[in-house]
Amino acid sequence: MADSTKTVFAKSKLVGRIKQFFIQIGELSYFAGRFFKEIFTAPFEFKELLRQCYQMGNRSLVLVCMTGFIIGLVLTLQSRPTMIQFGAVSMMPNMVGISIVREIGPVITALICAGRIASGIGAELGSMKVTEQIDAMEVSGTNPFKYLVVTRILATTLMIPILVVFGDLIALFGSALVENLKGQVSFQLYFNTVFDALSFGDLVPATIKSFFFGFVIGLVGCFKGFNSKKGTAGVGIAANTAVVMASLLLFVVDFIAVFISDIFYEL
Amino acid sequence: MAKTKLEHLRLGIFVILGIILLLFAAYLIGNRQNMFSKTFEISAVFKNATGLQNGNNVRFSGINVGTVNSVEMINDTTIRVRMIIQDEMRNHIKKNAIASIGTNGLVGSMLINIVPGSGKGSLITPGDELQSSNKIGTQDMMSTLNVTNENAALLTADLLKVTQALNQGKGTLGRLLNDTVMSNDLQKTILNLKNASNSANVTMIEMNKMVEQLDFEESAAGVLLSDTISGGKIKNVIEHLETTSIEIEKMAQNLNSIIGGINEGNGAINYLTKDSIFVNQLERSIENIEQGTERFNENMEALKHNFLTRGYFRKLEKKEKKNSN
Repeated sequence: MADSTKTVFAKSKLVGRIKQFFIQIGELSYFAGRFFKEIFTAPFEFKELLRQCYQMGNRSLVLVCMTGFIIGLVLTLQSRPTMIQFGAVSMMPNMVGISIVREIGPVITALICAGRIASGIGAELGSMKVTEQIDAMEVSGTNPFKYLVVTRILATTLMIPILVVFGDLIALFGSALVENLKGQVSFQLYFNTVFDALSFGDLVPATIKSFFFGFVIGLVGCFKGFNSKKGTAGVGIAANTAVVMASLLLFVVDFIAVFISDIFYEL
Repeated sequence: MAKTKLEHLRLGIFVILGIILLLFAAYLIGNRQNMFSKTFEISAVFKNATGLQNGNNVRFSGINVGTVNSVEMINDTTIRVRMIIQDEMRNHIKKNAIASIGTNGLVGSMLINIVPGSGKGSLITPGDELQSSNKIGTQDMMSTLNVTNENAALLTADLLKVTQALNQGKGTLGRLLNDTVMSNDLQKTILNLKNASNSANVTMIEMNKMVEQLDFEESAAGVLLSDTISGGKIKNVIEHLETTSIEIEKMAQNLNSIIGGINEGNGAINYLTKDSIFVNQLERSIENIEQGTERFNENMEALKHNFLTRGYFRKLEKKEKKNSN
């Protein structure tokens, strides 16, 4: 009897979680829809947008560059022995270049930004929510969605691709450094080989998906923060779930992006 | 306010720099695909495209000069590959150039290699179709290799039989390998050869010494080798010898003709040599003369004892005795 009650309870809990998941997706879609609706209607919070761009772009640059440099370095160091085994060490710049530009650069940059920006937005908006600052803004006649959400989502959407460009460049530089020190490959030869291997089929889809990554990071961060509940504890939860959900969604978006770009560019 | 302006400045720099980098990367990629330079299109027809794709490099004498623009199937054995070539290459590529599909290294991507054709030819014009050469593909090579492997298997089987026979001492080679007596003989022969070569070596050394000891200035050989006057004389002698030999040849010819005449039966000699009756008569005459001579001797002996002539002969004997004393 007790067992059947337990099973029923577990089932109902599972159903509840699934239901909650779909509710979350639904609310997120509604949130995204509201963003697209608000983005084209006046007033435009341009100053706040610039401030957010600076906070998310410039302030993340060092972190992204450091990560990119280390990724390029490590990727080359770890791939080299295998490539030497196959007698294809001269193909290192091609391999590293394509993997960084197509996949590693955008994904690593987006994950770093998800950790830094999404959690930041989630915590900031969450604390504003629990301290009823958002309600106060609404009362004072300012559209909090436009001021807080639209600017942040736009800022992440615009800044992430630029951060990806910097991240890619620094990662390639790190890789070139290893090749230069270990394989006596000049920087000029390295970058010549990289750009020989690259095509628009690599650069364009990667750049386009970076915009989507940025959009996802901003959207999830704002959504979690804007819908934060349960007092100050909710702020932590909002920040935490924002990072987890943003990271997970990044991979989903990445999969879709690769799938679509494969159709168009025959990768 | 100042802080906001500084933030905006930094943001501006960040954004502009990011966009410039992105555009620069796009330019580099596009430039390598000849998107921003003046180009012209040519084509080549192949039987097998071997995985050639749009955007693959086109090389002329090893230099990247363009990219593959399209790969289209004309029919089941004809594939037309259109290439975009840098405009400046119009002054270098000739109509007789040959295009072939290759790979960039062992594991690299496919590319088209254009090599200059032999002989003179006019420069290429946009839309021209190059000659193509279909190189042996990997699959062809693999099938050839398969045949080679089968042959190698047969060869090794035969070789196994041969080695087994050799080990068992069958055949001349087997006996040669297994017969210890023969090997000893061979060893001895080699030893003898070694000794012989040593002796030859010693002889050569001796001969060298002899040659070194020869006085080239004083000896006849030295004179012969160095004296130009003697050389001239020898030359004259040889010339005379040559003349003499010519004369001798003529004489021999004359003799031949004489002997020929003799053989043919002309002249007295032939009569003497060939006429057997004459020979018999001559023989009898000689016999008669001999008999005559004997009889004459007898007559002379008789004269010595005749009282009329005896005195004369005694005087002669005394004179001879006197001369001898």
